[in-house]
Amino acid sequence: MADDSPASHRRDPIKSSVGNVAAQRRRQNAVTVGKERRESLVRAKRLCRVGPSGDGDVPGEENDMVTDEEGFLLDAQTSSAVEDLKSAIAYQGKGAMQKRVNALRELRRLLSKSEFPPVEAALKAGAIPLLVQCLSFGSPDEQLLEAAWCLTNIAAGKPEETKALLPALPLLIAHLGEKSFLPVAEQCAWALGNVAGEGEELRNVLLSQGALPPLARMMLPNKGSTVRTAAWALSNLIKGPDPKAATELIKVDGLLDAILRHLRKSDEELATEVAWVVVYLSALSNFATGVLVKSDAILLLVERLATSNSLQLLIPVLRSLGNLVAGDSHTTSTVLIPGHEITDGVIKVLVKCLKSDHRVLKKEASWVLSNIAAGSIEHKQLIYSSEAVPLLLRLLSTAPFDIRKEVAYVLGNLCVTPTGGDGKPNLIEEHLVSLVQRGCLSGFIDLVRSADIEAARLGLQFMELVLRGMPNGDGPKLVEQEDGIDAMERYQFHENEDLRNMANGLVDKYFGENYGIDE
Amino acid sequence: MEWNPETLQFLSQCFLHTLSPQPEPRRAAESSLSEAADRPNYGLAVLRLVAEPSVDEQIRQAAAVNFKNHLRTRWVPSNDLNAGPTFSPILDPEKDQIKTLIVSLMLSSSPRIQSQLSEALAVIGKHDFPKSWPTLLPELISNLQKAAQSSDYASINGILGTANSIFKKFRYQYKTNDLLLDLKYCLDNFAAPLLDIFLKTASLIDSTASSPGGGSPATLQPLFESQRLCCRIFYSLNFQELPEFFEDHMKEWMGEFRKYLTTNYPSLESSGDGLALVDQLRAAVCENISLYMEKNEEEFQGYLNDFASAVWSLLTNVSQSSSRDKLAVTAMKFLTTVSTSVHHTLFASEGVIPQICQSIVIPNVRLRDEDEELFEMNYIEFIRRDMEGSDLDTRRRIACELLKGIATNYKKQVTDIVSIQIQNLLSSFATNPSANWKDKDCAIYLVVSLATKKAGGTLVSTDLVDVQSFFLSVIVPELQSQDVNGFPMLKAGALKFFTTFRGLIQKPVAFQLFPDLVRFLGAESNVVHSYAASCIEKLLLVKDEGGKARYTSADITPCVPVLMNNLFNSLKFPESEENQYIMKCILRVLAVADISSEIAGPCIAGLTSILNEVCKNPRNPIFNHYLFESVAILIRRACERDASLISAFEGSLFPSLQTILANDVTEFLPYAFQLLAQLVELNKPPISPSYMQIFVLLLSPDSWRRSSNVPALVRLLQAFLQKAPNEVNQEGRLNQVLGIFNMLVSSASSDEQGFYILNTVIENLEYGVISPYMGNIWNVLFMRLQNNRTVKFLKSLVIFMSLFLIKHGATNLVDTMNAVQDNIFLVILEQFWIPNLKLITGAIELKLTAVASTRLICESPVLLDPAAARLWGKMLDSIVTLLSRPEQDRVEEEPEMPDIAENVGYTATFVKLYNAGKKEEDPLTDVKDPKQFLVASLAKLSALTPGRYPQIINENLEPANQAALLQLCGIYNCQIV
Repeated sequence: MADDSPASHRRDPIKSSVGNVAAQRRRQNAVTVGKERRESLVRAKRLCRVGPSGDGDVPGEENDMVTDEEGFLLDAQTSSAVEDLKSAIAYQGKGAMQKRVNALRELRRLLSKSEFPPVEAALKAGAIPLLVQCLSFGSPDEQLLEAAWCLTNIAAGKPEETKALLPALPLLIAHLGEKSFLPVAEQCAWALGNVAGEGEELRNVLLSQGALPPLARMMLPNKGSTVRTAAWALSNLIKGPDPKAATELIKVDGLLDAILRHLRKSDEELATEVAWVVVYLSALSNFATGVLVKSDAILLLVERLATSNSLQLLIPVLRSLGNLVAGDSHTTSTVLIPGHEITDGVIKVLVKCLKSDHRVLKKEASWVLSNIAAGSIEHKQLIYSSEAVPLLLRLLSTAPFDIRKEVAYVLGNLCVTPTGGDGKPNLIEEHLVSLVQRGCLSGFIDLVRSADIEAARLGLQFMELVLRGMPNGDGPKLVEQEDGIDAMERYQFHENEDLRNMANGLVDKYFGENYGIDE
Repeated sequence: MEWNPETLQFLSQCFLHTLSPQPEPRRAAESSLSEAADRPNYGLAVLRLVAEPSVDEQIRQAAAVNFKNHLRTRWVPSNDLNAGPTFSPILDPEKDQIKTLIVSLMLSSSPRIQSQLSEALAVIGKHDFPKSWPTLLPELISNLQKAAQSSDYASINGILGTANSIFKKFRYQYKTNDLLLDLKYCLDNFAAPLLDIFLKTASLIDSTASSPGGGSPATLQPLFESQRLCCRIFYSLNFQELPEFFEDHMKEWMGEFRKYLTTNYPSLESSGDGLALVDQLRAAVCENISLYMEKNEEEFQGYLNDFASAVWSLLTNVSQSSSRDKLAVTAMKFLTTVSTSVHHTLFASEGVIPQICQSIVIPNVRLRDEDEELFEMNYIEFIRRDMEGSDLDTRRRIACELLKGIATNYKKQVTDIVSIQIQNLLSSFATNPSANWKDKDCAIYLVVSLATKKAGGTLVSTDLVDVQSFFLSVIVPELQSQDVNGFPMLKAGALKFFTTFRGLIQKPVAFQLFPDLVRFLGAESNVVHSYAASCIEKLLLVKDEGGKARYTSADITPCVPVLMNNLFNSLKFPESEENQYIMKCILRVLAVADISSEIAGPCIAGLTSILNEVCKNPRNPIFNHYLFESVAILIRRACERDASLISAFEGSLFPSLQTILANDVTEFLPYAFQLLAQLVELNKPPISPSYMQIFVLLLSPDSWRRSSNVPALVRLLQAFLQKAPNEVNQEGRLNQVLGIFNMLVSSASSDEQGFYILNTVIENLEYGVISPYMGNIWNVLFMRLQNNRTVKFLKSLVIFMSLFLIKHGATNLVDTMNAVQDNIFLVILEQFWIPNLKLITGAIELKLTAVASTRLICESPVLLDPAAARLWGKMLDSIVTLLSRPEQDRVEEEPEMPDIAENVGYTATFVKLYNAGKKEEDPLTDVKDPKQFLVASLAKLSALTPGRYPQIINENLEPANQAALLQLCGIYNCQIV
């Protein structure tokens, strides 16, 4: 054409490719660039200030606050402690062993003294090769324990400090075995947990060196502290993004039973760590998800949600539940059958979370509900008639953005029937009409205006339902009243082609003037 | 292409000549370049030339532009055959070499070449980054760090500019794992260096600005540009979600952001360019904090109060200033985001809303010099922004968005305050109308923009004013003003108000103003006469309850002569020669008014003269479309009233249509064929010789080479076949027609069109005429059936066979098919007819195929033969499925890949003319109800051999269909015995 600029203002012929409203279950994206939202209690790396078995000898009165001078002093003391250790190792005479242990204990004491241990000074002074030497086979347990403890706190430092542990890893892993003195094994697990928490690269090193099976076996007995440490280390180790480790873990003999047993019986602190293991198992591995879904896991998670008020515990338990619902259609089709007690239980705990003051719980509960709402008609009816709907409607208009978006997925899913292909979903008129009458449309239109393109897509899809599905052709009027035309027209020239076509298609189809036709 | 002195010489010469003012050497150079571009390593050679310091800068620049365009078309050539000619792609080894060279080359070039190469790099990045170009980011980063050490801001900004363009994709793509992996890769590598350079530049700005005199603009400029680029990259990297690194370093970023919003840089800001530069940085900051406010409100809330007050005081200053648009807009957007967030209570304190209204909203809504300039200089753009929603980023619109945002939580306060403001503005206007006319404009704008938007002319509501009384007291005086050229912006505002609230203005009031609207068509201002036309056009579309048009032909017919005259006259104003608003109004009036011959005459004259003009250079496709639509509706409606007018229309239009055909005005060919078809259909046989010339042209294969012409040509050919069947059978024309059918039906993308022709032939020609050709036709169809059998084709085939049967009987159908191959009829029946019958959709098609199938089983000896009992039963089963089940239960949507037919030249698309459309004709008017026809025929048949058919039915029909058949028998009171 001679001049294409005016043409670009002509909209494409009606192409209302408005696809499914959510409809499929959504898993969390496997790749994240955001900060990992594990609350401070369970952060990826942990300093060991007090010995794992409670026998540490760090006096409680020591002050956490370290001034610059104290820091300087601490560095100097650390350097000399490393020097002392060096000479203690070189010393071959009488009482050599005790001398080594004393030197190690002094170094460990310095490394445990403050929130900001003098790791840099220790590394500079050459601590790592000495500590590796102290881990050699046949060393006395006390020596092994102190060396592993030192390494634990070095590994809790900055990334390159953690990496410094590389030469120590084979020995730390070797001491995890059943023959080791339990506190030693546990301390080694802690050190390895810190290494695994550093990132994918070190995780892969640990996995290739065989760290997973012995750590997994540490979860089997009923020894509180050991299980807790092992579970935490494992949750770091299987974080992926490669799902292989998670699949390997669930295949370890007796591990599933151990997880279920701990979830059922243990105290909240231990249950929290175990729940994080379940989070990563279910987030990454389809195989593990399949195994968990067929076990009692869902029941136990629901019980925990019902009985606990600990946010630290509720977060991983809720997320595990969500992963199991999102990851395997088996969950909704054969476990959470409407009418069964467990299903009512799930809805009940989710309602509890929706009511909580904590936004993470509200958001994750909405996410779980949205996946259940993607199930059968009966699931939709169950949620629709539950206490959740009034809560969701209120959240849609008042909650912060991220929660509103999740809530919108639930409400959207309640209004459409399940579809296989990617054609337009059929709608459930009763739900749509009632939710719209209760004022949800403006919430969806707000999403259309947001900068988040997925939220915008969801908003447009819901608008399409309203335009198409409200009886008596009321849809266009309702959309107009909520200023929806204006919201859609923002996409007239949007860079995302899909959104642009959707919005323009809807405007043309329902609000276009169709000249010539209306004469 | 080898890189050697000859190549260097050749390319330098070519690029030099492309700059020549003489057309001949320029064209020659362009064509040798485009020829050379097909050779391997051409891109590489051009890039080397760009890098050659001995070559004149001017030549290298031209080469850089050519290089960029070369990459655009050939790095990953488009697969879309509609997009134009295809290019040979650049091969991988050449690509690798280009990727190795380009970064360092770009960084060492002069600014103009650098910007071309940076764009070229972005083209590569769009396809290859990051997965197929793993070295790019490390290379950029190491260069960035090197340049930072020497504070080489030319390079720094070159690198940041490149990074900015390759990261932009994170801003609008859906969040998928692949996208997140790419993003993670970019973040892992680039987030930290970005912060480093941002902080380094920040401290350089601080130290420079605090030096005596505030530093020289020349030093500061690149620093601000650098910060702006950092902010844009920040935006891209943060768009999908809040990355861990940015969360950990939020304090550093936000600290600097806030500084730029609250600090003045007098040495830069004293010049217009300098101020624009600082404002661009501030605007980029505002976009970033808006993003955080919207998506990461929890992490951001600690900074919110500071930013809100910083933005507010900034806006209070900016709002008073006439330029600084972009900053005003982004800053208001930030406040809008806050106002609709969970932190809206920031607006709740006493006096905040009135102050925002007073010092931010009203000043931004007021007309500024730029608006007046646009109104006069570029009316199309003005209308797009003012009326058609392309004003997303204008200060006026965004100021209203801010009010709407605040109103989500504080509706009453906002309504009250704005109502008062509107009254104040109107009283200020009243004290001195000619000095304070902008106050009135502001008031009108507020009312229109804050009304809830409605489309299609339905009710528009507003709580701000009483629309009726506002219309009478504020708008009507403007519309009744005798001087159509005085205060044109106020007139435009009044017309816009009328158009927007047309549904709410009662008919007698509006009707009284109709002559005024007609008068305003004569206003000199393009906006004013466009708005007048648009207002009339929209009024004619207003529907009352029950869908009846509010304004009818009786209402407007008396003033149509003047109206038409003014409309055609307004097309003579400079810049309005192709005014689409006026043409659309002409179309609408022709659709509503009574078309007497007194009106038709001048109209056709006016339209054809415009048509002749636009044929010379088709520019505005919208205008042209309304023009052809107007011609079509004029012909249709005038001839409906008075068939004798047809020859007058032919007389006027033929020369124009012939020009289009003779000059091959590609854009208009589909329109011309549709109009011709319309004219042919209105003709009474015998058809005039002038049409027969066109018929000859129509039959030449050349006419069919462009796929965009095909639907219109088919339409025209159908018209000829209906109106001139005898002429078709002369001079071997039928052979040519069938040749066209053959060509169209062979390709899956045009087979439907082929069947349209074939069906029209079958319907309109005597059997004796077509029977010699039938063997050939079947051969073509069977060939296609063998080669490429799509569901669409099978359905068309079933329809064709049905039509043939209805027209020429079952025996002819069976015999002509079996003449091609023994017994093929039953094979086709079993494999294709029976299974595909249930897929037929459309009322006419359904009736046709059902009746034909029924006649087949009740009349055809082949099927009445006892040996064919099973087929008989299966056929009936299929018929019952077709007739008894709703469409969605029978038909599964089959996704079919459209294959794109051969395209010649560039594309003109086929746009259907609604008003020249073909009426669907029912070939079977004597059968009303195919269900009744079925059971009645069966009853008659079964009565001949009682007992035979119930058994066949029992054995061959699905139980559900047996039940359905029984039910049908009951309904129509027929019995199968």
